[in-house]
Amino acid sequence: MKLRTSTILAAATLIPAMALAETTLVMPQQDEPRTLSPAPSSDTGGHGPTSNIYSHLVVMDWGIVEGVAAYPDLADSWEVSEDGLTYTFHLNTDAKWHDGEDVTSEDVKFTYDRIIEEGYTFSSFLRDVASIETPDDDTVVITLDKPNMAFLPMMAQGAQWTGKIYPEHLWADQEGFDTGPYVNEPVGSGPFKFVRWDRGSAVVLEANEDYFRGPPEVDTLIFRTIPDANVARAEFDAGQFPYLPFNYAPPWAEAPMLEEDPNINVVYTPSHFSRDIQLNLNHEALGNPLVREAIAYAMDREEMNRLAFNGSWTPGYYAGVSSQAKWINEDARFPEHDAERAEELLDEAGFPVGDDGWRFSVKVTGPNISDCTAITEILVRQLRDVGINAELDRFDQSTWFTRLQEKQFDISCYFGRYGPDPDAYREHFSTDGARNFMSYSDEELDQLAAEANTITDEATRQEMYGRIQEIVVRDMPYINVFEEQKMSLVRPGWTGFAVMEDGFNESISWFGVYAVSGPDDAE
Amino acid sequence: MRLLRYFLFRLLQMFPIALFIVVINFALIHMAPGDVSILLAGEGADPQYMEEVRQRYGLDLPLYQQLGAYIGQLLQGDLGLSFRTREPVIGIIAERIPATLLLAGTALVLASVLGVIIGAVMARRPGSAMDTAVTTLSISLFSIPVFWLGLMLILLFAVTLRWLPSSGMVSIAGPREGIGYILDVAMHMILPVLSLSAIWLGQYVRLSRASVSETLAEPYVTTARAIGFPERRVMSRFALRNAMLPIVTVLGLELGLLLSGAVLTETVFSWPGLGRLIYEAILSRDTPVIMGAFLIMSFTVMLAALLTDLLYAALDPRVRL
Repeated sequence: MKLRTSTILAAATLIPAMALAETTLVMPQQDEPRTLSPAPSSDTGGHGPTSNIYSHLVVMDWGIVEGVAAYPDLADSWEVSEDGLTYTFHLNTDAKWHDGEDVTSEDVKFTYDRIIEEGYTFSSFLRDVASIETPDDDTVVITLDKPNMAFLPMMAQGAQWTGKIYPEHLWADQEGFDTGPYVNEPVGSGPFKFVRWDRGSAVVLEANEDYFRGPPEVDTLIFRTIPDANVARAEFDAGQFPYLPFNYAPPWAEAPMLEEDPNINVVYTPSHFSRDIQLNLNHEALGNPLVREAIAYAMDREEMNRLAFNGSWTPGYYAGVSSQAKWINEDARFPEHDAERAEELLDEAGFPVGDDGWRFSVKVTGPNISDCTAITEILVRQLRDVGINAELDRFDQSTWFTRLQEKQFDISCYFGRYGPDPDAYREHFSTDGARNFMSYSDEELDQLAAEANTITDEATRQEMYGRIQEIVVRDMPYINVFEEQKMSLVRPGWTGFAVMEDGFNESISWFGVYAVSGPDDAE
Repeated sequence: MRLLRYFLFRLLQMFPIALFIVVINFALIHMAPGDVSILLAGEGADPQYMEEVRQRYGLDLPLYQQLGAYIGQLLQGDLGLSFRTREPVIGIIAERIPATLLLAGTALVLASVLGVIIGAVMARRPGSAMDTAVTTLSISLFSIPVFWLGLMLILLFAVTLRWLPSSGMVSIAGPREGIGYILDVAMHMILPVLSLSAIWLGQYVRLSRASVSETLAEPYVTTARAIGFPERRVMSRFALRNAMLPIVTVLGLELGLLLSGAVLTETVFSWPGLGRLIYEAILSRDTPVIMGAFLIMSFTVMLAALLTDLLYAALDPRVRL
């Protein structure tokens, strides 16, 4: 008995020594995964593990900010027919499932067919697909009903959340992608293999030595659930992990102090999102275009930038962001701060200052993200300065989103998206757009947006999206405020995280750590 | 025999109360805004898929039908499937209970035993400098928000001194069995137990001090002292025993809250227990898990109340059940 105890103790002390010989990477994440099967629903806790276990047909990583439409993953290369209807993907011939079977075109067809059949989230990106054919093991041919310029980039972007490729030989006799033994013991073809999931604590993965692009540098990859941002920060400071992702972002006011710290590498990543406000056009005052223009004048982005972001964000005066610069129409520009002009416009619009000292009341809300919180707090004050009785209205994330969809809001901070394809304008501003919570409707814009998505010539598209921006800036159903900027913290010596430039095109998805490499002395 | 009948009666009484709790919980959860189908299907999902999700989970039915179906299910001992993971709720909850019991149970025992002893000692020297210091300290402990205390402990012991792990229940690369595992869990327990019991401790010190000094002023204590019983005997046999009643009441109440009382502590320390499960379930509107957890928690509260009543009878012969 005594002997056994000492053996276990010896083994216990040996483990840290063994860990030193390898690179172990702990990635903190806020949510526990719901399941480890990515297709049935978007799952913030699951994206990290599944993006490293599974592969995608094509994928997107933060290289998107350099204007790339899609990166290869299982598909090494692809061609698009001249009419924009047929996409031919050539698969990497070395790709294997973690159980040793070959990845074939049949797996891709099986996965996509089932996603369409079950109506899972990713099927919205496959809406225009007429047929998926597999002329041989390494070729997938996808034919569309009608040309859709956004098809490839949107499919690549969506793939990292819910469009990963499943092994047909294991899933064929399961119902959907949410039942059976492989839901929480996934077998994929990505750079890491599943080891175990300790409920409530961590998901452990190990390097896939047979990965078709070569084994990753990290040997053991652990996704740890740490719900509290302060605790995550404390653990990062204590050296428990080398990377603090932007969703735990420390307050922007701390940025200059962090930059001084030689033990921290502050990484800024631009994105294809903006921070903007959506205005509910059903509101009595906000329905008036003059009032919306007045709000644009009342808004002081420079002051917001100084107070909230330490001056490090880029104010957004265009209906676009600079990471998608080639689509921006610089002639369509939101007005700069001019409080007097704002008051004039409000008088003209028929909203003079009343007996109570206010012109009208609005509630300002937003998603539960720290930058929107800061923006709305300052915006409320700026609106009050021109006589609008603005008040903050806060909700948890799901309530906020429900209210947005039910149009129970006046003004809301929002994360507008401008890429990976400018078809995003249709999503935000066309009458039936999924991100149009403003009840905005313009016939010319609807037609332009529908047509621009089918045109293969880039110059013509540019012109059409330029016109769309003119219409949007004329009507101002939304007002751009900032280009989004993400701040992550990395320990010196660690490279290749998805948010870093050397991770672009290497990360394989926004959640991928394939390109990550630790400092030499940690190995 | 009478005791047994009383016990069974009280046990039976729990079911209508539980039903009442289920209905109230159900109403409360459904009054909260937010639609689980959006959370499940994801932002910008196909409306058709969302409709399918609603149907699959029975969310398209009128509320009273949903409630009826849920109660029917409960009567068969089935807590349903989690919206999030589609696993049986009973298993999800059972998996988390040991971690919570370990954390909250240790903290409660520590806080109550230490608190009663400290309080009793202080009661013998009321007004002394020591007494004033302890009273002030226990009031401050009682008023500190537990998440703040937790964060400060993490900053001091895990970040600055690096003596103890900051969060989680086990080291990820650590041993999975044997002494090494037990030591590992023990190390991880120190900070959360400390912050949780510190909060409770203040309460027990104050309670026990007040209660003991009250009984010490009773005539029978004076009589016992006059008879010449040694002070230690007066204390343990007469004073403390009678002072236990209010303490047991509070302990009983807290025993009932054992499963739910550690939500904040578990969240701060990433402790894989029931409290954090509830926190996550509420954020994701996982109604079956919330309802299941509330139901099990209300049963523990009721059981604890019953146990307290039984303990009363043992402690105070005047209480006849």
